[in-house]
Amino acid sequence: MQNRASIVLSIAVLVGGLAVVSTPALAQGRGGGGGRGGGAPRVAPALPPAGPIPRTADGKPNLEGVFSGMGSGLTHTVILEDHTSGFGIRGGKSLITDPANGVIPYQPWALVERNKRREDVNAYEDPVGHCEFYDIGRLHSFAQRFMYTGGNIAIAGQEQIVRIIDMNRKQHLPASIRLWNGDPIGRWEGDTLVIDTTNFNGRTRMALGGDFYSANAHIVERYTMVDSNTINWTMTVDDPTVFTRPWTFTTAAPMIRQVDGSNDWNRALRLLDPAWEHDCHEGNVVLRHMRNVYEQTWGGKPRPQTVPGSVP
Amino acid sequence: MRFITPAILILATAGAAASFVPAVAAQAPAVQGWVPGKTSDGYPNIEGVWRAWNLAKYDLEDHGAKPGVPAGRGFVVDPADGKIPYKPEMLARRQKNYEGTRTTDILVNSDPLAKCYMPGVPRLTYLGWPFQIIQDKQDVNFTYEWSHKKRIVPIGDTSPLPDPEGGLNLRWNGMARGRYDGNSLVVTLGNFNPYTWFDMAGNFHSDALTVVERYTPIGPDTLQYEATMTDPNVFTRPWTIRMVLQRQKEIGLLDYECTAMLDDLGIHHTFPRDFDVQQ
Repeated sequence: MQNRASIVLSIAVLVGGLAVVSTPALAQGRGGGGGRGGGAPRVAPALPPAGPIPRTADGKPNLEGVFSGMGSGLTHTVILEDHTSGFGIRGGKSLITDPANGVIPYQPWALVERNKRREDVNAYEDPVGHCEFYDIGRLHSFAQRFMYTGGNIAIAGQEQIVRIIDMNRKQHLPASIRLWNGDPIGRWEGDTLVIDTTNFNGRTRMALGGDFYSANAHIVERYTMVDSNTINWTMTVDDPTVFTRPWTFTTAAPMIRQVDGSNDWNRALRLLDPAWEHDCHEGNVVLRHMRNVYEQTWGGKPRPQTVPGSVP
Repeated sequence: MRFITPAILILATAGAAASFVPAVAAQAPAVQGWVPGKTSDGYPNIEGVWRAWNLAKYDLEDHGAKPGVPAGRGFVVDPADGKIPYKPEMLARRQKNYEGTRTTDILVNSDPLAKCYMPGVPRLTYLGWPFQIIQDKQDVNFTYEWSHKKRIVPIGDTSPLPDPEGGLNLRWNGMARGRYDGNSLVVTLGNFNPYTWFDMAGNFHSDALTVVERYTPIGPDTLQYEATMTDPNVFTRPWTIRMVLQRQKEIGLLDYECTAMLDDLGIHHTFPRDFDVQQ
């Protein structure tokens, strides 16, 4: 029974995973109007040649636009380290740049926990399958839209997620306020936007393959604009609860500006299309099948798991 | 009975703090001599985090107290009697909707919000959670703290909304066309699916609904919000609600992940798809 359950779940997860990233494209047709809101697909020129860094009135790089670091396609939504193709994604090299061996420096207990999360019967635990949150690194598997508001920077990511980066505050929120994507505070270092995030709730996963950090994580992202079309991004995770040392990873390719005709345009479009609605939870029947297998495996209770020092 | 606390939690969490603001605040006059600022694109500036501190989420009409619901004035300013102008034969449906909410079991509760389905427009505005407005040249972005819902309103797109194509082009929050009119942002919406309600009292609409929202800054920290609903299948004439939204300065948007809370309460949101089941 266990094997059959695993196979069924693998299929369910595959369908579910694809549903999460692509089913809305099927469900939400584009009608016959002429405008952006529900109008016909836009067909327009490809990316213009890169020029100097565009700047806002105060001389800082102007990040406005849609950028994607996905490179030639979905490669790291499941596993961040070296991986062969499978699960509907291409093979890929590790995104981890530090340590040099490309392996996430888990503490022994955490590696065991990560590997348990990776088992297909436990994929039901992934909050993305529940239409909840991607972690802030996982968002970089997809296109993101940068906007400005009241001196702050807003980054709209996959599905419903919009991060408002506070550019004025110096202190993080009180420790009792915990957020799915943490409390982001931004600052400029030259042409690099540095985002410092704490106050996580420890419930997100970095990939479907189970990589995680705890509520105690301190994450620093660096967005460096190098020309009008390109942003280099790195994310350093410091979490003494889970890892033996801080580690850093990046996107599969530099984040490239998305315009009509870009390879990632179909996904980027959702960040700009007023006719796009990020419904996911409504009618998410696949999750039910995943849960059936999960409950069968764990006797109707959640899998026992503990993250030391984590916020309950 | 085990679901009675969650039901109240999910549906009414934001209610307690809201009850001290009387509905008459909806008629707050504009601040004398105050002129709204402009965005860098020259539009009236309505950016910021906004919140409706009122009882509209319970019932848009005048109402007495009900379990967990404070009595209060309604928000319908047209018609003048403050009542939503239902066709007589539609009132039974509203009553049935409301009766269906008087349960302790979220899984059979008739309010689509009980299962964390998308609230629709205008309900998202006065649900009680704050939302943030971001304006740029080509559109206005609304981000809601409630389950991080977001919607994008295109500015200056006057093309007709697409054919519904049998439901393919219907949305929980409708499809929008935006424009600026003086100091106001005016959003015209259509292509709604018929699964959302206006409040917890069971007020409802069909997929023939159109909504015209009007956001007008009337003071440095105050927006006037109006919404006019037209639906010839359900109402005898258009009707309008009006209320004020207050700027939230002390903190930005936080989280209210409705589906995760269902999970935490042991109500796994793996229930069957029910919102479009033929009754």
